[in-house]
Amino acid sequence: MGTAQLKDVIIKPDAPSSLLLDKHADYIAAYGSKKDDYEYTLSEYLRMSGIYWGLTVMDLMGQLHRMNRQEIVDFIKACQHECGGISASIGHDPHLLYTLSAVQILCLYDSLDAIDVDKVVEYVKGLQQEDGSFAGDKWGEIDTRFSFCAVATLALLGKMDTINVDRAVEFVLSCMNFDGGFGCRPGSESHAGQIYCCTGFLSLTGQLHQLNADLLGWWLCERQLPSGGLNGRPEKLPDVCYSWWVLASLKIIGRIHWIDKAKLQRFILACQDEETGGFADRPGDMVDPFHTLFGVAGLSLLGDEAIKPVNPVLCMPEDVLQRVGLQPDLLS
Amino acid sequence: MHGRVKVKTTAQQEEEKRKEREKKLKVYVAARDACFSKRKDGVFDDEALQLTQQLLSANPDFATLWNYRREILTHLETVKDEDEAQKIYEAELSFLESCLKVNPKSYGSWHHRGWVSARLPRSNWARELSLCDRCLSLDDRNFHCWDYRRMVVKMSSVPVKQELEFTDRLIGSNFSNYSSWHYRSTLLPLLHPGSPEPPPSRCGGDPPHSCSPPSPQTHFHRVCEEQLLKEYELVQNAFFTDPNDQSAWFYYRWLLGRAEREEMISCAYVSREQERVAVTFSRPVNAQSGSLLLVLDGQPQRVEWRSVHPHFKHSPVWISDLPPGTISDIANEHNLTVHWTEKHTHRDCALYTGRSESWCRDTATDLELFRSELSVEKTSVLQSELQSVNQLQELEPLNKWCLLTIILLMRALDPLGYEKETLAHFQTLKEVDSMRSAYYSDLCSKFMIENTILKMEYAEVRVFSISDRNLTTLCHLDQLLLVTHINLSSNQLRRLPPQFAMLQCLEVVEADNNSIENLEGVYHLPKLEEVSLKNNKISTLADLQPLASCPKLRRLDLRGNPVTQTANVESELAELLPSVADLLL
Repeated sequence: MGTAQLKDVIIKPDAPSSLLLDKHADYIAAYGSKKDDYEYTLSEYLRMSGIYWGLTVMDLMGQLHRMNRQEIVDFIKACQHECGGISASIGHDPHLLYTLSAVQILCLYDSLDAIDVDKVVEYVKGLQQEDGSFAGDKWGEIDTRFSFCAVATLALLGKMDTINVDRAVEFVLSCMNFDGGFGCRPGSESHAGQIYCCTGFLSLTGQLHQLNADLLGWWLCERQLPSGGLNGRPEKLPDVCYSWWVLASLKIIGRIHWIDKAKLQRFILACQDEETGGFADRPGDMVDPFHTLFGVAGLSLLGDEAIKPVNPVLCMPEDVLQRVGLQPDLLS
Repeated sequence: MHGRVKVKTTAQQEEEKRKEREKKLKVYVAARDACFSKRKDGVFDDEALQLTQQLLSANPDFATLWNYRREILTHLETVKDEDEAQKIYEAELSFLESCLKVNPKSYGSWHHRGWVSARLPRSNWARELSLCDRCLSLDDRNFHCWDYRRMVVKMSSVPVKQELEFTDRLIGSNFSNYSSWHYRSTLLPLLHPGSPEPPPSRCGGDPPHSCSPPSPQTHFHRVCEEQLLKEYELVQNAFFTDPNDQSAWFYYRWLLGRAEREEMISCAYVSREQERVAVTFSRPVNAQSGSLLLVLDGQPQRVEWRSVHPHFKHSPVWISDLPPGTISDIANEHNLTVHWTEKHTHRDCALYTGRSESWCRDTATDLELFRSELSVEKTSVLQSELQSVNQLQELEPLNKWCLLTIILLMRALDPLGYEKETLAHFQTLKEVDSMRSAYYSDLCSKFMIENTILKMEYAEVRVFSISDRNLTTLCHLDQLLLVTHINLSSNQLRRLPPQFAMLQCLEVVEADNNSIENLEGVYHLPKLEEVSLKNNKISTLADLQPLASCPKLRRLDLRGNPVTQTANVESELAELLPSVADLLL
């Protein structure tokens, strides 16, 4: 049978070791203009989230002014459907994922009045099921990601009391596993992305005390591999986006110090592309805005002073949330 | 977006690639626009199916197109008979299978397949299960497939035993099997339930069948002991065969865990001098929701409950003040009852004449506070396991899983008896797995605190002393409500956290020689008189603010802290802490 091989990467000695903020800002600023690019077009189905990733990382780097605010706000307006939900792009169908991204963007720009907020609330409320779970849209896919999207959206709008919070909490807790983690649905395997959504959800609903923070914290700190990078679950390769999902979860449950900070920092920096700017999932791969945001956000959580403090629950700059008046609980 | 290696190419290669992509893009955009246009016109024909098929084959995450396809299929169902509908849906399943072959991790494809399977006039769940078998044989960590399998199992009532056997096969033949062990953890409580009681309802007053099933994390103890012991053997085989197979070690830790505590009021305390009642619950609660009732000498009292610190809306410890004069006369005897109405449980506390304070604690918790009750059989099994893992550790000295598991086994068997060995193993662990040394330090601190609590219980004293133990964190503070003297000196603590405010009976704090810079938890401690914080990291007067809330504080030792270098520190402190007559700087 042989022994299990530990999956990991090796960081080359010439990998980037300092933060190239200017290059990343240039990369993101230019990204939107790639409208004739195949990859760009293929990812139209998530455009609203793509914009949220780009704007958030620019704001964290103090470069939000380089983006086209009016164009984006108009785009969001055009994406709100009659039912109140918001789609990823024009002509696409509404979904909770993109409704949250849109609301997050409008918060960054302090322009929530661009959309019909009451309709958004109605849309979100309408997606809650009997058992407290949330469907992503009218087609009924259930996932704890959507529980997070629902409460995060409503929290930003100050309208959490419109849903059955107790039921929603019950459902999320029913997804807690033997290892203290969470999956998509009851019975699903623990996964760092889902754990982020569920701990974020429990923070927003004031229910963090229901977690087993020591057990979950252990599972999360075991995501760190010899390269210093973090994976999303046992026996998987490290990926810079887990510097966010795992790290933010640890921050929320008060155990971020269980990660070796210096080694993680080294891994994240090694994921930069010195030529093009931006971050890739692992050293040497192709960059994209998604990994760029989570690389920068991860560094912010680790305390990098060149980056604005980021909120671990909502992945938005803390100063934006201060303006909105939202200060979700964290365990100490 | 994931796993795409950056490949360097020549200028000519770049140009060729660019032209090719431009062509691809044109085709894609044309198809997309045609789709959107047809849908806008409400067209649900074959061409629409063709176009969406073309696009989804290349891009199964384009969710809106799956939506459109569902609209088309739904429409077709209304104009075709059952046999034709069956054919159409089966063709859809065929198309989906080809999509999944290319990208087995698309949420959209799996969801659509589930939608189609449920709509088939003549469903074939056996085929779906077989699809899962095949998919998992290629990648048994594909959670989309596992989730789909769980749905199929539910829809077609596959026996739990059969699924358990499926995990047996997978675990026996493969390494990357965390998903299988996880699945087992959900199946065991269903097949081998332990306790005959109904699961504690989280659903309020709803009838049991509408509750979601209890989650394995909290209800594993509902696996009967016979099965549990079999499970130990199974896991042991796994990690002995491959000591680097993490999943088995994770699963084993779960098996060693303790049962969830019974929900109750674990302690009720009353003080004549403070005219106050303090209550400890077995878990954090929100007593302000009206579920806590205080009855004094048969009379319900209108009191307000507050948690020990404004940080906590949910807390294990709650306090209320009694109306002045009700219990202050030491010549009177009183009987108190605290009712936790939500859980139909209560605790009585008798305050005798001549006594200034009284309490009542749950005695069962003294012994099984930190670990589960062990039957004779289980003890013997765990003892032999400890022996085996020790042997394994000798063969694999750098294997951190062995070391950690040995510690956990020792904790389960005899926490006090194995204290020395436990400390030694933690030292080794921190060397072998240095990335997680902060975790091990905190875990070791937790275990040392548990041992100190146990020793304190046995000695029946109210002094909690744990110095020179490399403590990096404080926990179980909810167990220290009755403690009058605490000594935390010569450790590595950075703060006395808000939870510290649960130590409502505290009179003396000694916490010299730490790295304390935060005193948030020294907050409204009504009996606190002396605090010693020599050689810590208290740097500003603001850090000392919480102390001002302790009315009886009269002695404070701050020698060896940076704050003593602040300008006018003596007069500032005289103003901040007027009750402190004995100030050492």
